[in-house]
Amino acid sequence: MMTLAQSGFPEVMSQVTLAHYLFVSGAMFTIGLVGFLTRRNLIIMFLCTELMFQAAGIALVAFGRFHLDFTGQTFVIFVLTVAAAEAAMALALVVLLFRRRESLDAEAWREMRG
Amino acid sequence: MQTVLAGILAATIGSPPEGGGDGVAHGATAMLLVPALTLLGVVLTGLCAAFRVKNKLPAWISVGLLAASFVIVLKTYLEQSTGVRIAHGFEWITFSLGQHNGGPIPFVANFSLYVDSLTLLWMLFVTGLGALIALYASEYMSHDVGAGYCRFFAAFNLFVFSMSCLVMADNLLLLFLGWEGVGLCSYLLIGYFYKKPAAVAAAKKAFIMNRIGDLGLVLGMMGTFVAFGTIQMVPLFDMISRGVDGAGQPIGGTWVEWVLPMLFTVGAFGKSAQLFFYVWLPDAMEGPTPVSALIHAATMVTAGVFLIARMMPLYTLDESHFILSAVAWSGAITAFWAATIGMAHFDIKRIMGYSTVSQLGFMFAGLGVMTSTGAAFHVFTHAFFKATLFLACGAVMHGFAGQLDLRKLSGLRKMPGWRIVALAMLVGALNLAGFPLLAGYWSKDIILAEAFVMNGPVGWILLLTAGLTAYYTFRAYFRVFEGPVEYHAGDDHHGADDHAHDRHGHDGHDGHDAHDAHAKAEHGHEGHGGHGGHGGEFHPHAPGWAINLVLTVLSVGCFAIIPLTFMGDHGGWVGTMVHHSTAHIEHAGDPALAPHGTFLGMDPHKVMYYVSGIVGFVGIAVAWWLHLAGRTSAATSRADALAAKLGPIVRGARGRWYVDEIYDFLICRPLWVLAHVFHQVDQWIVDGLVNLTGGLPRFVGATVRPSQSGELHGYAVGMAGGVAVLLIVVLLAVT
Amino acid sequence: MLSITTTPAWGEFTFDAGQALLPGMVGYAKVMIAAVGLLLLMLMAGTVDRTDEERIAAGRASFDPLRSNRAEFYAFFLFSLTGLMLVAGADTLLWMFLALELTSLPTYIMVAISTQRNRSREAAVKYFFLGALGAAVFLYGFTLIYGGCGTARLNEIHDHIALHGINTLTMAGIMLSLLGLGFKIAAVPMHFYTPDVYEGAAPQVSAFLAFVPKTAGFMAILLLAATIGWTYDPGAVKGVIRASEHGTQLPEAVRVLLWVMAAMTMTVGNILAVLQSSVKRILAYSSIAHSGYMLVGVIAGPGDGSFTGSGVGAVLFYLMAYGVMNVGAFAVLAALERGRRDDGDAIEIETVDDLRGLWSSHPRMALVMLVCNLSLLGMPPLLGFFGKLPLFTSAIGAGEVPLVIVLGVNSAIAAYYYLRLAFVPMLENADRGAGAPRAAPFRSREIAGLLSAAGVIALAVFGASIMKRVEAAAKVSPTIAEIQATATP
Repeated sequence: MMTLAQSGFPEVMSQVTLAHYLFVSGAMFTIGLVGFLTRRNLIIMFLCTELMFQAAGIALVAFGRFHLDFTGQTFVIFVLTVAAAEAAMALALVVLLFRRRESLDAEAWREMRG
Repeated sequence: MQTVLAGILAATIGSPPEGGGDGVAHGATAMLLVPALTLLGVVLTGLCAAFRVKNKLPAWISVGLLAASFVIVLKTYLEQSTGVRIAHGFEWITFSLGQHNGGPIPFVANFSLYVDSLTLLWMLFVTGLGALIALYASEYMSHDVGAGYCRFFAAFNLFVFSMSCLVMADNLLLLFLGWEGVGLCSYLLIGYFYKKPAAVAAAKKAFIMNRIGDLGLVLGMMGTFVAFGTIQMVPLFDMISRGVDGAGQPIGGTWVEWVLPMLFTVGAFGKSAQLFFYVWLPDAMEGPTPVSALIHAATMVTAGVFLIARMMPLYTLDESHFILSAVAWSGAITAFWAATIGMAHFDIKRIMGYSTVSQLGFMFAGLGVMTSTGAAFHVFTHAFFKATLFLACGAVMHGFAGQLDLRKLSGLRKMPGWRIVALAMLVGALNLAGFPLLAGYWSKDIILAEAFVMNGPVGWILLLTAGLTAYYTFRAYFRVFEGPVEYHAGDDHHGADDHAHDRHGHDGHDGHDAHDAHAKAEHGHEGHGGHGGHGGEFHPHAPGWAINLVLTVLSVGCFAIIPLTFMGDHGGWVGTMVHHSTAHIEHAGDPALAPHGTFLGMDPHKVMYYVSGIVGFVGIAVAWWLHLAGRTSAATSRADALAAKLGPIVRGARGRWYVDEIYDFLICRPLWVLAHVFHQVDQWIVDGLVNLTGGLPRFVGATVRPSQSGELHGYAVGMAGGVAVLLIVVLLAVT
Repeated sequence: MLSITTTPAWGEFTFDAGQALLPGMVGYAKVMIAAVGLLLLMLMAGTVDRTDEERIAAGRASFDPLRSNRAEFYAFFLFSLTGLMLVAGADTLLWMFLALELTSLPTYIMVAISTQRNRSREAAVKYFFLGALGAAVFLYGFTLIYGGCGTARLNEIHDHIALHGINTLTMAGIMLSLLGLGFKIAAVPMHFYTPDVYEGAAPQVSAFLAFVPKTAGFMAILLLAATIGWTYDPGAVKGVIRASEHGTQLPEAVRVLLWVMAAMTMTVGNILAVLQSSVKRILAYSSIAHSGYMLVGVIAGPGDGSFTGSGVGAVLFYLMAYGVMNVGAFAVLAALERGRRDDGDAIEIETVDDLRGLWSSHPRMALVMLVCNLSLLGMPPLLGFFGKLPLFTSAIGAGEVPLVIVLGVNSAIAAYYYLRLAFVPMLENADRGAGAPRAAPFRSREIAGLLSAAGVIALAVFGASIMKRVEAAAKVSPTIAEIQATATP
């Protein structure tokens, strides 16, 4: 489908198409999701959501290049910014929680239900 | 000031389309302030209740706002010439219904006021009497200062608001809103002493009886929309005057000419306690007396008269005349029937209640014999003298701890402090009895004369009733206010009105110490200790300034309205007002429509003055002979011997002709049995089904509930799984 | 600001209000958000730092900027409302994403610090992590839409879809976006967090959560739906124009997705609310149910554009109505407390039984509870009825009769718990010995409740002018004729 710019890349890279990027992106998203569902450590879970965000970032850049349009790349910058803000919040929250329960286990927080 | 307010009001709720293409004159926007001010009164008194105001503030708010409303109405009356003005408030309901003649039918009901002279006539006495009676109530209800006081005045203001919506509505829906509103307020105020079972029962009775009538009005409104495609007064009357219906066809057929007037008549009978519906009104006297005076004598119960007067064009269609005839008969029969019960009762407030039913019968008979002028005039005079009578009764009730039995009170006129009450009672009684040259005489006279012209038998019934009226009115007056001085206190320290204050001894009455001291001094002076029903502890207290002032104003008003009889070219001032409104009957008295009857061969218009005057005198004289002349105690009179001879008739009248019992047997009992049958059905079959369906959400909920495990991971899996399942569902559904 | 920083990249793109898909929505939404925001602001008084403030006032401590959270709390509050207003005006996917994140990120912190209890922490952790998951889902959806259409501008996506139909990538993106946005509006299957978070947060913050993210989500969903168009018609003449006036609904796949979401959301919300005893959990589950009701309006679409015919208008009006009456219900919980905990937090009204006897101890609050809950139920003369009515009528107009039946059944189920909430304070007496709740020392909370109750009544009476504005706000553009004019050279 699409070939990347010819110069400056090894020969093998010229065979890389949009589909490859989307496959990587999809795989990252899935790994992130599965990690989120299976891991119990709050920090790891947060990193998994970061993985999902960055999966979207890869797809955005690839689409931008495919459409020869800058929107995708601009979008990525903002996604990174938002991810950074979320990271700051997540860590602050984790610290707050750790102080209360001395644990990073998500299962420690299950008081409310039903 | 008030034009400024009107300007502000108009600016905030959208200025009316001036002189729109519909050919209707807009204006009289100041009248919008009347509902606005009364609604403000509801809000303010409601706030008083919320903030637990413990003084007479709500009363002064109400009096002030109602007086302001009266001034506005008066000013509008003085400014307005003849004709109709529409005061456009705001767009309320507009939507399209179905298809007709290729276009949707717009259903429009705006919050707009239809201001013509009939409206102004009614509004003048609604707001005027409202303000006066609110002033009276400020003292009368003073033992209830606190929560109940605020509640009373909130409902009072809401009543005037609803009444102004009813009277000024420019469409039937707004009229119906007001109609239901006054019914609701009546219910709330009859049941004001909600700890008293009789009051609660009376409130329920009034509400249910009114519902039956309201059904008639609702059906009439729907029928009007079906027939004319509008419920707005202006296009409606325009179509009727042109003789076409909504489809542009000439009006004809049973639907418009028979069914519609009949439905409106049922509505009017319900509200005005006519014929089968009258039983609620005497029971409504359980409410506080100011309420009886304003709602159940002067204003609300005349709403039925207003409705028929307003809808008069519908009643004067070619084929509709027999409805008017039926109205005349119903009115006459009700008048006579209620008067017979009033003659036998001993409770003076109930007597006044039956008298109201009877006088309403007169008004309906007036409408029925096509003298809407007479009916409206009688409404007007009745509002004054009946309010006076009720307020005087209320003063007695207030002063004698709820005592209303005319066998236990006597000679009040001679007691110090009661002179004004006695005089007011006398003025009211003379008017009610039709004493020559008083206002009540003139208004009754028009109805009687016209009745003999149009419908002889109705005339005779009414004439007989007029005599009975004079008798029972003066029976009450002579027994209570004349004769030897004697009194027995009632059961309550503050009449039937006392419910939450049982702990108050009479002496401990806050805010009444002055009266109490006064009453004690009197007591010591006159030495009536032996008569007190409470072992010498009871001291009647004479009314205070507010009650006396209101009674004086109303009594003077009863005289002041006499000159109105002779104003204008159309049979008095009220006649002029009616002449310029929809209530005017174009061909009234036209020999082509009805035979010109006579009174024993003489022209009724000429001789009725003398005849009705004589009948009134006779009634008063009989009452004097039976109840005053030679009476030595409160409990006995010469009438007792007569009553013993008449035996069953008197017992029947005292038992209210057992109408309540008959209703109970014919309607309540079968319904009671049916209710038990249905209850069993309900319990075994319906409840089973309901429990099944009602249990279903709980059951499903209980199965879904474990999904809310409280675990973060459980939720995440649920979200991801849900997304996956939904996507699969969509895939399956689309492909 | 966004357009200024990004303008050089696109050059020819400048924001033009005339090109917005829902041009009238921005103004309406901003006024609505500001109005409800003011009510919420009154509710927020004294949420954080209450103990510290009291200690300072009593002279037992001095002000310490490091310990004070008050400024941050209000800043986050305002940030969130700003984000909400920006969502309404979004014209690109990027703007929409940023605005949505600006709306929701501050709310996580607000939940965490709203009380000192562990429950608030638990609520925050659930809310934040699940929220991040939801955000990742709709971000990925936005990415796919961008990939499928080659542009992130909503009106260009609209034209692209109108001309070329929806390709698989775009469709997948739309699906993921709608599901991800489902988290904001608490729609099934993204609803799990709602009851726990509402219960854990302070009641005033719960009121905030019930209005702000929900409104953001619905405005984003409306914009997306307008981008796809309610007149999508794949059967029209190929190659000329795909969307035409023949189409009467969203693409089938989108419609089915929203249909199932709507039906499930209202049903799950209502049946779970029936089982609850905690007032906040009842209100939380009912909040889920209300989202289900509003999704019906999204499915119904703009219809004939009249107030009773437009589902878009119905959603916009319902958001306002829900905001007002919901603030009232939560304000009662915020304005009363049963005591103070050791850490200084109020002991709140927990169960419905705690509301008993409110009529005798706090009649004003009991009235607010009565009015607001009857309105939430949809009783005729109140605001909630006028909110629900166009949902019914527009859905019937759009031919969605089965969904209307589900809506009707659910409204009936809702009566079970709303009548309980409305009448328990009025009719049942408090247990002997149980102390009456006392008023929290923040009058503005009580005033917010009274204002809401007054609004529930007043807006219903004077609703005609609002309804006109809603009709204007729900106008969808560009019209088919406009697309045809631009599509055919």
